[in-house]
Amino acid sequence: MRKSIRTICTVAITAIALSTILGCGQSKPKLFIYNWTYYIPEEVIKDFQKRYGVKVVYDMYASNEEMYAKLKVSGGKYDLVFPSGDHVSIMINEGMLEEIDKSRLTNFANLDTAVLPLIKFDPGLKYSVPYAMGTAGVSVSKKNFPEYKKSWHILEDPALKGRITMLDDMREVLGAALKTLGYSVNSTDTTELMQAKALVMEWKKSVVKFDSEAFGKGFAAGEFWVVQGYAENVFSELDENAAKDAEFFIPEEGGPMYMDNMVILKGAKNIDLAYQFINYIHEPEVYAKIMDFFMLPSINVPARAHMKVTPHYQIDDMLKNSEFKEDLGGYLELYNNIWQEIRVGK
Amino acid sequence: MKKNYGPVYVAPLTGWLVVFFAIPISIIVYYSFLKKGFNGGVMHEFSLDAFRALYNPTIFKIAFNTFWIACASTAVMVALAIPASYFMARSRHKNLYMLLVIVPFWTNFLIRVYAWMAILGNNGILNSTLISMGLMHEHIQFLYNTNAVILVTVYTYLPFAILPLYSTIEKFDFSLVEAARDLGATKFTATVRVLLPNIRGGITTAVLFTFIPAFGNYAVPQIIGGSDSYMLGNVIARELTVTRNWPLASSISMALTALTTLGVLLFMRLNRSSMESARESATSAPVKTPQSGTGATA
Repeated sequence: MRKSIRTICTVAITAIALSTILGCGQSKPKLFIYNWTYYIPEEVIKDFQKRYGVKVVYDMYASNEEMYAKLKVSGGKYDLVFPSGDHVSIMINEGMLEEIDKSRLTNFANLDTAVLPLIKFDPGLKYSVPYAMGTAGVSVSKKNFPEYKKSWHILEDPALKGRITMLDDMREVLGAALKTLGYSVNSTDTTELMQAKALVMEWKKSVVKFDSEAFGKGFAAGEFWVVQGYAENVFSELDENAAKDAEFFIPEEGGPMYMDNMVILKGAKNIDLAYQFINYIHEPEVYAKIMDFFMLPSINVPARAHMKVTPHYQIDDMLKNSEFKEDLGGYLELYNNIWQEIRVGK
Repeated sequence: MKKNYGPVYVAPLTGWLVVFFAIPISIIVYYSFLKKGFNGGVMHEFSLDAFRALYNPTIFKIAFNTFWIACASTAVMVALAIPASYFMARSRHKNLYMLLVIVPFWTNFLIRVYAWMAILGNNGILNSTLISMGLMHEHIQFLYNTNAVILVTVYTYLPFAILPLYSTIEKFDFSLVEAARDLGATKFTATVRVLLPNIRGGITTAVLFTFIPAFGNYAVPQIIGGSDSYMLGNVIARELTVTRNWPLASSISMALTALTTLGVLLFMRLNRSSMESARESATSAPVKTPQSGTGATA
């Protein structure tokens, strides 16, 4: 008997608690964001919620492909999404995006005008607002390998056999090879690509693994000495002392760059709130906080003065020789065939 | 009159299979005969492109690689599982050992795979132990190759080989082995000629239960594999995401399913015919053992 009373009490309390939580949520306007895993510090979102008295519903994806497939299949109820450049152009072609009215974004003027003209995936930025840019470079364990030139040719060093990883990403690997040979990272020329393939096969002799997930951990454990990848994936695994023994560089030949962007989905229900959020992100203080968190270079010019952390590389380092990745369209097949041949070792 | 409740009893299972097996498989079959959408997805137009694309030396090579890894893993698993289940079935602490076999399942599969990385890494437990014991000076590259993939696959699916073998061996009448020994068979002969033929059902199940998941392996080659370890599962995932060729992903899945089914049918067939011939020779033998009786009813 006593037990059943207790059960009833528990149920009642849970019901009350649930209804309060749900009730609370209903009274506030909601913004639905679909973004990469860990791509906005929690604090930034909390501040936004507090300042505007709104609620942000935040879902995450691990790759552009996952995001695209989900939006394509279920439509979803999201307002704001963060695709990379190549997927922005796909989503524009598929008519999935709402045009952006820049007059509503007072902070759009903060963006670096040296970068914006290079953007070809959305010429004139009609549908997207840049969020963050970066590049995959090379991280070296200086403790184990002190002497090197800042070039992709480091991957050919026989002393590094079995100590190198490259990304499990055909665009990044072939892009690096294309750049080393002096071609564009978006090359669709078969001869150029065949040369790039031969170079990657040369690199593969020393590459122990094509990996995009755990190479940072392996680097931290001293297993790998030279890894191709994003600096944040490596340095987030290192403590202060270990970070001193490691260096990240962008090879002198350049490589593929990425830009992740904020886009509003067609049919979004909370467009006003989405604009508010985009504008909020590009407030210099807020943007500085985000880039400090990820140690990425700021494309927001006034934000640079607010940053407390020196990023692993600067925008200028990238602009020297690197290039934005564009969608390959029908040539994706060609890249894929080359990549599979590389992977099975032919 | 007695009412037949059979269909009602199996309704939940039927529903489950329809929703989570028949419908998804039908979608895969349907998609494999369509044209690929330019930006992923499919266009609802009939096309055999996805099957033509299968006829490709790279795919053959990967398929062969996959088949080889799956066969090797299965062989090792069954070879390990037979003595292990024998030991368990004969032990007084059966339930304890049973529990120990199942305990690893309480930990997430990926965490166990990462644990292997901590053990086999160049600065991992195994290498540093061997070096500190002075057995070698330089580390050995255990990880990121096909052998590592086989090792971790064996580790992952071994319980699926042990469980059916254990239940078969436990039911086995060990007085048959004693009889064989009384009649002058050595321990080895008794095991090979009396024990193994009688637990053939368990071995078949063990092979099937381990070969099928090993053939469809995806995560293990992705994490443990090296620059060459690439299996069909990885190709399917890539075609579905990076390459945005859903029909090809579907046709490879179909090929995978077809190959597995064919392999299973062939294996069961071979097994049945050899079992029948074994039974015939047993019944025609002058001394009739209870073996034929149990074999026939099983």
